[in-house]
Amino acid sequence: MILGAPGAGEAETPLRAVRVWDLPTRLVHWLIAALIPFSWWSATHDHLSWHRLSGYVLLGLLAFRLIWGVVGSSTARFSQFVAGPRTVLAYARGRLGESRIGHNPLGGWSVIALLTVLALQIGLGLFAVDEDAIEAGPLSKFVSFDTGRAITHWHHEIFWVLVALIAVHLVAILVYVLRRKNLVGPMITGVARLSSSLTAPALASPTRVILAAALAASLTWFVAHGLSFKS
Amino acid sequence: MMRRTALNSIIAIGLGLSASAALASGLGGVEAAKDRQVHFKEMGKAMKTIFDQLKSGAPDQSSIKVQTALIADHAKALPSWFPPDSGPSTGVKMQALPVVWTDKAKFAEKAHNLQIAAAKLNAVAQAGNTAEFMPALKATGDACKSCHETFRQKDPD
Repeated sequence: MILGAPGAGEAETPLRAVRVWDLPTRLVHWLIAALIPFSWWSATHDHLSWHRLSGYVLLGLLAFRLIWGVVGSSTARFSQFVAGPRTVLAYARGRLGESRIGHNPLGGWSVIALLTVLALQIGLGLFAVDEDAIEAGPLSKFVSFDTGRAITHWHHEIFWVLVALIAVHLVAILVYVLRRKNLVGPMITGVARLSSSLTAPALASPTRVILAAALAASLTWFVAHGLSFKS
Repeated sequence: MMRRTALNSIIAIGLGLSASAALASGLGGVEAAKDRQVHFKEMGKAMKTIFDQLKSGAPDQSSIKVQTALIADHAKALPSWFPPDSGPSTGVKMQALPVVWTDKAKFAEKAHNLQIAAAKLNAVAQAGNTAEFMPALKATGDACKSCHETFRQKDPD
């Protein structure tokens, strides 16, 4: 979540348009937002081929986001937005204001929670086996039928944890709307109007985007083929 | 000594009573319901083994033959797994829907379709006919699914 709501003292500083989120981060965000409901729909309507495909794309997006969290633009990096408990508490008590660009200390942990549960959900899906063993994840060959069925059970349970986290995420966005801060706009356009006293984020080069995407795609291909180089 | 005999008699009568109570509530049906769940699971495991073998890149033909034989045999026996007293009234947790016992004609037809598909799959596998194997496997899987759509409750997991 972006900041820079004019706090005391900042009110006088002029605002300027700043690119807060780069294109890859926004694309990954919106594709994940679209594919989670699609995955749910395809699973509940017996379109398991689509469900698997959707899972593979999500795996690729997740892999890219994790790589991007290390080598991407400054606002996408974990080192920039994962704050310690004291900072989070201070922010939650309103002591920090909105003095930085990118995820605030609380929002940063929301990102970590969402990515962790998404990773868990995708990971379980890779080993899942349906009741008839006709539909199965690409890594199910490494587990027994019973283990695969137990994993499928957890794949169904964890989905609701993911839904709960998404609900928290949406409520947080509404809370910021009430505080007159639009978080959705910048996630679409990438641009926010912020105090000119704040340093603009360092954007990663297109070469990095391509390399990170290629690495994420290769990893996904490898996993989708059951950790095998054979096609 | 007397006391002991009396006690034994009481135990014997007690056992007899509980056994007849169990029979009245359909012990046979309960057994049938539980057995059939074991058998269906065996078919699921067989199916998984076949798919795992196919995915391995170097499928073990002899293992696949064992599985297709199991599926074909189970398919043949399948209609006998659903005696009239083995439905939801047994109290056994089951996904078999009451319609199994009310729309017998349709259920028998679906079971028959599976028997044909599974027999073909097994014949193809035993003959080592690799070209025909995948279509036969798909036909068997479709026969499973087609019956489950109507007669089995959706996965509660």
